[in-house]
Amino acid sequence: MPVAQTLRLLIGPLELLHEQAGPRLLRLTRLGLFALWIFKLLLDPLWRLAALPHDLFQPIGILALLPKEAIDALLRPGILYLFLITTLVVLAFALANRAFPFTATLAAILLTAYSCLIRGFGPAVHTDTVALLAVYVLAGFAWADFFQTKFSKEKTSPGAWSSYPLVTIVALLCLSYCLVGYSRFIRGGLPVFTGDTMEVWAIDASLRAYYFNTNIGWHIPEWPFVVFMLKAGLPVITFFEMTAPFCLVSSHYRWIFMPVMLSFHFLSLVFMNIFFFDDMLLYLLLIDWSRRYPALRRPAPTAQYNSP
Amino acid sequence: MNEASEERPLWLPPISLVVILLIVCLASFVSWPTTSPEMAGKIGEKTSSPIIPFNLTGQALLLYIVVRGFCYWPPMVRWITSMPLFHRGMFALLVGGMIVGHYTLDSRNFYPYVSWFIFPTVREDDPVTCREFIATTASGQKVRLLVEQLFPSIVQIYPLDDPKHYSDALIDELARTLTTAYNQHHPDNPVRNVDFVVMAVKLHPPASESRTEPSCQLLKRYDFSSDR
Repeated sequence: MPVAQTLRLLIGPLELLHEQAGPRLLRLTRLGLFALWIFKLLLDPLWRLAALPHDLFQPIGILALLPKEAIDALLRPGILYLFLITTLVVLAFALANRAFPFTATLAAILLTAYSCLIRGFGPAVHTDTVALLAVYVLAGFAWADFFQTKFSKEKTSPGAWSSYPLVTIVALLCLSYCLVGYSRFIRGGLPVFTGDTMEVWAIDASLRAYYFNTNIGWHIPEWPFVVFMLKAGLPVITFFEMTAPFCLVSSHYRWIFMPVMLSFHFLSLVFMNIFFFDDMLLYLLLIDWSRRYPALRRPAPTAQYNSP
Repeated sequence: MNEASEERPLWLPPISLVVILLIVCLASFVSWPTTSPEMAGKIGEKTSSPIIPFNLTGQALLLYIVVRGFCYWPPMVRWITSMPLFHRGMFALLVGGMIVGHYTLDSRNFYPYVSWFIFPTVREDDPVTCREFIATTASGQKVRLLVEQLFPSIVQIYPLDDPKHYSDALIDELARTLTTAYNQHHPDNPVRNVDFVVMAVKLHPPASESRTEPSCQLLKRYDFSSDR
């Protein structure tokens, strides 16, 4: 019995994250996410891409549907500049919560085109994919709210509606980790964790260029402790990736998951030049704000519901 | 024995699921063609075979176990069942889209519904090599010409040693483009020539070898001194 009690104490309360979230928390999430994209786009000299050889560009996603002439037209400095400004304006409208379902959907389309554009010159890296999917979630649930209010005869209390997009964003974030972990565990198998694989991947990533170049990673073979840390760390990180969905369930797990994965992301930046800035910001949603701050909680069932 | 246990024999889930999981995991530790070093370096590439049974089924099984776990967890059941129709549909669409995207094994055509993998395969290449452009400026300074820094919109380009993505002509054009871009930002110290080199880092270097820089081998030199 004491073992069971200790175990229960260690596991802690099992409650769905953001189940109590109210419109204010959803509003803050919208603000944060659109502000993040605006910040990213403001730092991006997108029009410079026009100077790169067009043969380097291999369209992905929705851009692959366009004819070659349209791609050539798109890759002009003026058009790229116009595209960037338009996207920023739409994001600003979404940030201001103006006609949110429309502006968020438009923002999702433009951000998809933007993400496809910058990935057309290389592999479709995952860096800000979850942040883009989070915009889809906000737009999608805004439409669901709209249709439910307008067309459904189903009698439901809108009090819990704010929790739907928040839980979904966290679910997608966790799923991204989880699928990466499964993929490595199943596809790579035991040899990924036992050989020099992680050392090779780290040196390869450090030699290859990214915007952040610490120029440290290729020294790894000189540092036995770092080699050991990489080899020992990979199964640990893979375990946390595979079990990431528990973030939705357990607050105790979340408080272990966050420092472990934040350390991993920080070390990835130092040794491999890889920076998952957007995912790290989305970690803010791994904190159950509404349980800590009553102002962010959903109103009691009898209270008047205010659209976020 | 009660009625419920008569309806569900012992070999039914969850015991059968555990056995299947063990079989799939054991089978997955057999070396597949995808774990060869030739395939491993091609990040973002699809594998040579479109159907990799244990890759797919193994991952699907693990995911199934997690999803089943959530299906039995009362707070999640309560949350899902309390959702109105449109919201439930949207939740299924968004989460389902991400899962289906992963099982396409394709990271390009359905972006942002991509196949999720980071460091997924065994790599045993020693030394680890990488090609890049190193410029010498008018002042004699050596600088790396990196696409990702001169064009910061791009997160990463394909490795420059990948013949599927770079012809010789494209490499030449890229060298010129990078030089032009660098000179625009450094008009007082322009590039004179650019070396296209292959850098190599040994995993187990001999103790006597200098380790201050990765070893470099010149592949091609471009002279841009008359370009101003």
